[in-house]
Amino acid sequence: MGRLLSLLLVAVVVLAGCGGADVDISAIPELAETTPAEMEALLASSEAPVVVNVWASWCIPCRSEAPLLERAAAEMGDRVRFIGVNVRDSQDGARGFIAEFSAGAEIEYLFDRNGEVPLALGGSGAVPLTFFFAPGGELTHLQTGVLDERTLALHLDELLGG
Amino acid sequence: MEFTLLAAAAIGIAGVWLMLRWEAARGIAAGCARDLWDVALGAIGAGIVVGRVAAMVVAGVNPVLRPADLIIVRAGVATGWASIGALAVVTWTSRRPPWIVADGLAAAALAGLSGWHAGCVVRSACLGTTTDLPWGFAASPGGLPRHPVEVYAAVLLLAAALALALWKARGRPPLGVPAGLALASAGAVRLVTEPLRPSLGGGPVWWYVAAMAAGTAVAARRWRTIAARRSLPPL
Repeated sequence: MGRLLSLLLVAVVVLAGCGGADVDISAIPELAETTPAEMEALLASSEAPVVVNVWASWCIPCRSEAPLLERAAAEMGDRVRFIGVNVRDSQDGARGFIAEFSAGAEIEYLFDRNGEVPLALGGSGAVPLTFFFAPGGELTHLQTGVLDERTLALHLDELLGG
Repeated sequence: MEFTLLAAAAIGIAGVWLMLRWEAARGIAAGCARDLWDVALGAIGAGIVVGRVAAMVVAGVNPVLRPADLIIVRAGVATGWASIGALAVVTWTSRRPPWIVADGLAAAALAGLSGWHAGCVVRSACLGTTTDLPWGFAASPGGLPRHPVEVYAAVLLLAAALALALWKARGRPPLGVPAGLALASAGAVRLVTEPLRPSLGGGPVWWYVAAMAAGTAVAARRWRTIAARRSLPPL
């Protein structure tokens, strides 16, 4: 038992040093505000498939899927447009989240203070939500809850026609 | 939602339990089935925690500063680290010689993995790359037909589990060889099915090759060691 506790203590100390929570948000610009009408127009005019991820800085599952979306955007950003819509949040909270988890992501971030965009797109008030749109704005899949790699890869593959 | 993940985990655990019962009924590991069940449950729990922590660290999320993220299992569990965590707990908590415990759990572990993959049905997560084969399924109406890759994995792992259990019952293999072959089989099944899974930049193929090589090496070494002992003349 003593050995197990010692091992656990060492693991906690090592893991505590894996990263810090202090983030500098000065390098992250304020997010542009958006409305349901603007988002619908953007989707309708898009010639590329669009993935719209709805997130908030207070949402724990959003933290877990942020690195996944960053990786997907880095790999497929030339063929698929990735948009992150921050809802029911503050600008500082959103910028802090981006600085900590997605600073280098090729994702367009938008700000929706009242959370109206996901409702207008056919979603709910829950976060996270991820919409997959074909070119022209047709919704092909709505993922409620956290994304896993297989689900994201499968629906991106569907958008790109296999 | 996470409930479907829990259901898939429950199917996997049921696979472990059923195989242990099946083997105990045939006199394999008889008398220590309850011990094995306890060890297996501990190993499953530890495997999930270690694999989840590893996935969080890789993704840049500090598990000490963000402990609540641990429960978002769907966001990822690092398979290789999960296996190492499970094996460590098996070694740590076994009250019997390690090779006996490892052999006792070998077929049950494969059956459990088979159940976990079969759980894709409740998670709506069975589909892989596109195919023209007649048994392909579409992800959505009008979508492209795809390989039910998780079902392939479930069937192959179940076949390996049954073959191993039958061999243990009839052939009385040398101690340690079933455990090595189980590890090699698990790695081989994931290796052959991995190209059919949709992923971002390829799956963790290196881990599966390592598991195959390690399992095969263990089985071969144990076989040779025991064969050499059996061939010694009596004192």
